[in-house]
Amino acid sequence: MNLDLIKDILVATVPLLIIFPSLFAFTTWLERKALARIQNRIGPNKVGIPCTRISLFGLGQPAADGIKMIFKEDIVPRGADRLFHLLAPILALIPAMLVLCFLPLDFSFFAFWDEGIAEDIKAVQSFALDGAVIFFFAITGLNTLAIFMAGWASRNKYSLLGGMRAIAQMVSYEIPLVLSAVIVVMYVGSLNAEKIVLAQDTLWFVFTPWGLAAFVIFFIAALAETNRSPFDLPEAESEIIAGYFTEYSGFKFALFFLGEYIAMFAISGLAVVLFLGGSLGPGVTVELVDGAKELESAFAGLPIIWLLAKIFALIAVMIWLRGTLPRLRVDQLMAFAWKFLLPLSILNILVAGFAYFIPQENIGPKVAVWTVSLGILYAAAKGLNSLNRADVKPREYKYAE
Amino acid sequence: MSILGAGIFKGMAVTLKNFVGSYFDKDRLTTNDYSWRPDDKLPQNAGEYPKEEGEQLSDTTTVTKYSRNFPMLLHDGGEPMDTVRCVACQICERECPPQCIYIEKDYDENGKYIKRPAVFDIDVSVCMSCQICVEVCPFDAIVMNSQFELSTPNRFGGLLLRRDDLLKSNDYYHQIHPEEASARDQKMAEEKAAKEAKKKAAAESAKKRAEEKAKAEAEAKAKDEAGGKTEDTE
Amino acid sequence: MTQEITFWVLAIIAVLGALVAVRRRNLIHGVFALMIFFAALAGLFLLLLAEFIAAVQILVYIGAVGILLLFAIMLTERVTGDDGRRVTARGWFWGLVAAVSVFIFLLLPAIQEADLPESAQSIQPSVKALGHKLMNPYVVTLEVLALLLAASLIGAVAAAQGVREKKEGTNDA
Repeated sequence: MNLDLIKDILVATVPLLIIFPSLFAFTTWLERKALARIQNRIGPNKVGIPCTRISLFGLGQPAADGIKMIFKEDIVPRGADRLFHLLAPILALIPAMLVLCFLPLDFSFFAFWDEGIAEDIKAVQSFALDGAVIFFFAITGLNTLAIFMAGWASRNKYSLLGGMRAIAQMVSYEIPLVLSAVIVVMYVGSLNAEKIVLAQDTLWFVFTPWGLAAFVIFFIAALAETNRSPFDLPEAESEIIAGYFTEYSGFKFALFFLGEYIAMFAISGLAVVLFLGGSLGPGVTVELVDGAKELESAFAGLPIIWLLAKIFALIAVMIWLRGTLPRLRVDQLMAFAWKFLLPLSILNILVAGFAYFIPQENIGPKVAVWTVSLGILYAAAKGLNSLNRADVKPREYKYAE
Repeated sequence: MSILGAGIFKGMAVTLKNFVGSYFDKDRLTTNDYSWRPDDKLPQNAGEYPKEEGEQLSDTTTVTKYSRNFPMLLHDGGEPMDTVRCVACQICERECPPQCIYIEKDYDENGKYIKRPAVFDIDVSVCMSCQICVEVCPFDAIVMNSQFELSTPNRFGGLLLRRDDLLKSNDYYHQIHPEEASARDQKMAEEKAAKEAKKKAAAESAKKRAEEKAKAEAEAKAKDEAGGKTEDTE
Repeated sequence: MTQEITFWVLAIIAVLGALVAVRRRNLIHGVFALMIFFAALAGLFLLLLAEFIAAVQILVYIGAVGILLLFAIMLTERVTGDDGRRVTARGWFWGLVAAVSVFIFLLLPAIQEADLPESAQSIQPSVKALGHKLMNPYVVTLEVLALLLAASLIGAVAAAQGVREKKEGTNDA
């Protein structure tokens, strides 16, 4: 084994393993404080720097939670499948961390520390697979396996049912997720994440009508894929205790939690890359170098700052939605996926396809095509909405009067 | 025709207002009234839990007038069981979704039903504060209290509130929920006035009819006598 | 050098996964071993620089076929294989003869006749080339497959709904 290979492996993986778990810790703190403020209370504000009385707005709370979870007793139900009980949280975590490799993260800010390392990282990070987007979806599909394993290995019929419902939800929402990403792939002509970012130099895809519809569908499906409110029926905290991971305690539960949040980061990252222009922003531009497009930034580290800023904006919207919306019932959830999002995403592909092939050189046809497509998509959404409307009547009391 | 998704956006605006407002407007934080005090001291009662059986601390001075917790029975002052509004009609018992209310009617010595509850238990560990009992009560007898320090060391009955625990006066209701209490009083006064007016109208019409009947009888009798007299002379 | 080591590791994982999948009494363990086999195959595709095929292998086989197998197993009994039923069939000798003869007479000549290029670098299957081939020579196959899938989807929905009984008479207005 040559040392270069080991160095390459370490350089490619260690930044990810350091940055994203610490972002995870920060996100749990942010979520608890933000949800608390939305619900008219203060979140955790006592734990700051450990062993002192300095409470920095509760920023030490994630560390305290982590330490608590490590020291908890690990309970495995009697008669449960011990091997699967152990493997399920690991299998939930691995796909989430693996797909982080496919995002076009640019670690050239290491140049502040050492020029040599920056060159090595750049050489390894041109990891840009030609099929990055489809690898992303393939590996996100492995989450369903982990949930099934968790539900099955608990030897608890309610966990198994919860796991089945969770799998049904995730499989149904994968289709609108992939179909709305197809539009971007169609426009760019490549599955490569870097090329998709470079193709958005003039206009981010979210500002086109079909791109906006695709972004909304992608975001809703991403909420459902990561079992986030309002689609968190499988782990409805106040209702079924924890659904498919009821029987997990201590560190295994922490691993599930970690896997869920990192999956949130990964899918937000993909949404940012596909629709919101990835690392582009003020200070980061696309230049033509030797006939090929390349990313130029004002100073090293700005692209990843923009990417993380946009990911955090999306995560803030996810937390906001969690504090706002009530949970969907399972039949409402499935109806929403199959009867609303799926037809809308197929129609979106058609509309985007037509708009791609109609020549829009001048401003006149462009405006016309855009307004017509916006109108078609909005009318379709309203139509599907009224088709699926459930009839609710006001509550009537049988025994009074 | 509303914009698709308008409800979601309106909801998000409300939560954003809550989020931003909770930094500036300390009144919003209803359950955290002590953590932002400058000297960081707790108020008198916070943190003390009842040590003896039957002791309940009053804590309703620290919540706002909008907070609700579990139901209470109203009485109009004086001796509670003399002026209690509840007549034990059992409508709230039947409509309660988790069935946490248990009512027994009160009978006097002869076995006749008096309009009071003998037993009125609410199991507050079951109650979900849905306020359906408040909505359906025809006598405005049950309303929501805002007392939240209900913890007790008694596992087996500490959270079962009996009739005497639930009886609170109308003045107390005015103290904790002033707007709602005055609205309710006004509604009751209007209903009573309407009933009085209807009774008076009914009494007047009855009196008028009685007068007319008396007049008609008098006329008939007069005619009879007149007729009888003429008959006599024949 | 690393390519050879990777190939051997993946191949051994694949064969072991397939063996466990076939021999294991516990059906759930068997299905997960089968998925390990699929994952090792995807790794082998990656070694051949066929990224798209590898991704589609994971997406379809592990993500869809595997889940389908798990759902189907949920509907069977005695999934964990705890009872002491006899697993090996009585005619194992002739089965073994059939398997070995298939290998010798069909697979071995095919493997020996295959003409492989020197390294994987000269073939570069790209998604664009795949797409072109699907559209130009093989478009009819594509459409027939799409029709087949649509038919199976409609059949699945019809089978799931069950037979509808015709209601006579009573039609509430």
